[in-house]
Amino acid sequence: MSANLQVAVLGCALWNSPQGARPQPSILPANERRRAPDTVAVALQVAQAACLNAGRDPAQLATVFASTYGDLAITDYMCSTLAQAPTTLSPTRFHNSVHNAAAGYWTIATGCRQPYCALGAGDYTFAAGLFAAALQVCADQTDVLYVAYDTETRGVQAQLARSRGVLGVALVLGVTGPADGAALELEVSSQAAAGRTPGTNAMAACLPLIAAIEDRQSQVLCLPFGPDSSLRLQVRHGL
Amino acid sequence: MRPLAITAYTVVCATGYGKNALLAALQDRRAPLIPNDFTAESLPTWIGRVPGLEGEQWNLPAELAPWESRNNRLAWAGLHTDDFTTAVAGARHRHGARRIALVMGTSTAAIDATEAFYRHQADPPSTPPHLRQGELHTPHSLGHFVQSALGLEGPCFTIATACSSSAKVFGQAERLMRLGLCDAVVVGGVDSLCNSVLYGFASLQLLSPDPCRPFAVDRRGLNLGEAAAFVLLERSGSELQLLGYGETSDAHHMSAPHPEGLGARQAIEQALGRAGRRAQEVQYINLHGTATPKNDAVEALVVAQMFPAATRASSTKGWTGHTLGAAGSLEAIITFMTLQTGFIPGTLNTRELDQMCGPQIRLDNAQGDVQLALSNSFGFGGSNCVLLFGRDSR
Amino acid sequence: MLRFTSDDPAVSGGTAYFILRSIMPATQTAAETELAELIIAAVNLEGVRPTDIDAEAPLFGAGLGLDSIDALEIALEVSRRYGLQLRSDDADNRRIFASLRSLAAYIQLHRQPRS
Repeated sequence: MSANLQVAVLGCALWNSPQGARPQPSILPANERRRAPDTVAVALQVAQAACLNAGRDPAQLATVFASTYGDLAITDYMCSTLAQAPTTLSPTRFHNSVHNAAAGYWTIATGCRQPYCALGAGDYTFAAGLFAAALQVCADQTDVLYVAYDTETRGVQAQLARSRGVLGVALVLGVTGPADGAALELEVSSQAAAGRTPGTNAMAACLPLIAAIEDRQSQVLCLPFGPDSSLRLQVRHGL
Repeated sequence: MRPLAITAYTVVCATGYGKNALLAALQDRRAPLIPNDFTAESLPTWIGRVPGLEGEQWNLPAELAPWESRNNRLAWAGLHTDDFTTAVAGARHRHGARRIALVMGTSTAAIDATEAFYRHQADPPSTPPHLRQGELHTPHSLGHFVQSALGLEGPCFTIATACSSSAKVFGQAERLMRLGLCDAVVVGGVDSLCNSVLYGFASLQLLSPDPCRPFAVDRRGLNLGEAAAFVLLERSGSELQLLGYGETSDAHHMSAPHPEGLGARQAIEQALGRAGRRAQEVQYINLHGTATPKNDAVEALVVAQMFPAATRASSTKGWTGHTLGAAGSLEAIITFMTLQTGFIPGTLNTRELDQMCGPQIRLDNAQGDVQLALSNSFGFGGSNCVLLFGRDSR
Repeated sequence: MLRFTSDDPAVSGGTAYFILRSIMPATQTAAETELAELIIAAVNLEGVRPTDIDAEAPLFGAGLGLDSIDALEIALEVSRRYGLQLRSDDADNRRIFASLRSLAAYIQLHRQPRS
């Protein structure tokens, strides 16, 4: 029998730009802003906003960062350069190409020495990251910041991966929250869930949950969690 | 925390296929690193390349052909060594496929396939069909491939936190098991050599032109290697155990560690704390020891300050190279072998230790009774993970 | 902007010199301007014009805020443009990279002719 995970949603934030607009997070020092890729900019923007929304000090929060593709513009740059002139590879862009770049920049900008995780799970990334964050809340009995993001395909990559716009979402999850706040119950289920609509951002699976939280709607959502499984999310709102 | 049992493990790396090959190379002090022959352009460095990986015996079966890439080939080789798939099949029979979770670690996954796709843009019709499989070009291509290869249906994701990736997987496994979300976990890491990391680390001027010399006074940087490492964890069934883990962030710089090793120190304390053990009880530490000027300076300082002189510590990267996302699990496995056999590897290639090293860091191999051992992984981006393993000889 | 004169009792000789220097940055040679353009492009220094960079002020740390990764980026671009290698472990780096002027001088001395 599978156990369920129960967490309170203490805060959330969303940056959703189908046109691909990139935010300018104030938490990124000017020195880093000039070289931070789009994924770092959107991740830090929503992370900062969610912490503000939750009234939590970023430096005290463990984090889980999730992205389906990582920074597609950087991957495009890396593979193009490697195909044509590999010895001219930019050290800055290489050091930004690691999947944990956003996590690294975030912890440096906030001085946060709590642990971070950076993960991917293909088409199931949003649910897998939410699951991992909730797991950590319940296992470690601590608040956890969950940040998920994806950007748009560029150049040759568009033949391989389809993602439109710039999308970032962040949730601060805790063991308990205010009585009138939102709470989530997560259950792994063997029922299949609908996949992503073509022409959307790779992280679009997050949108129904954010809508439910912001509209204060109690409902059950089903997120794709694996080839043969889904994550059943019971969203509840206090009075 | 309640220990987890390590009931099976396997490894493929520069020393060859399987744990026996790795142990023999360590004992014989035979370094399999070779001058870089991987990149098309000349890049003077040494690499830990898996011999014969391109051979036919590691071809993927037809139903997994869409996943063809060096990285998945290496994963496949790892799974089919030391009867690991048999062990997983046994666990699947005991617990059910849905009750086995899978958490993999990598830094670049199948980026070699994406690199190849871009090269084919010079002549698009020449592009092999499998390179157009979209999921191949994501960090989770590793997790998804292994999940398919093993027939597992429990929670599954891929961690990519650079050098700490396949150490952090152990922490995830412990949480999943403790909360009753699964009854067994397959963890591990796979990272193959690729142009991205070779030219990338070269651009950061972190590659040594010679075989790497961890903790040496004349160290000049790291050598890259590739590896596949897999571990099966269950609640019981082995005297070899995961006793603790510690995870922290340096919050300092993307490519340089905190100069005083605060994050490293805290991760070690956490790992010991979770197990209720003390630093004095640790008999062996497998160090991160990449042979970069900064990592080794900080790590040596931390070890000298936290452990007594009797604790033996070494870096085994002279044998395997730095396998990035696979390093955490690969070096955990070296630690397992130390616990099981009493063989304690030293440090290869280094002739003279840097003066900031304490008495703990050893060059020579040794034999002893090891019951408690630590493994350090300190990643690019400031992610630290320390694992504590032990042998329950009751 | 606050202005101090050298006979103001609040201002020491050294301070007056520093403020004077920053009011009147050292004039750049053509080679130094070319290098300034290279640096700005290499590290994406938005909103900085080549002539804004004081030829004798420190390049790294305070001021422009460049760090070790920027140094590598500049080294790469210098290598492409002028054909000379700058290693991060060179003992003379502190001196070579001290300012725009010192780096430009080093390049002039060691550049390879274009083939």
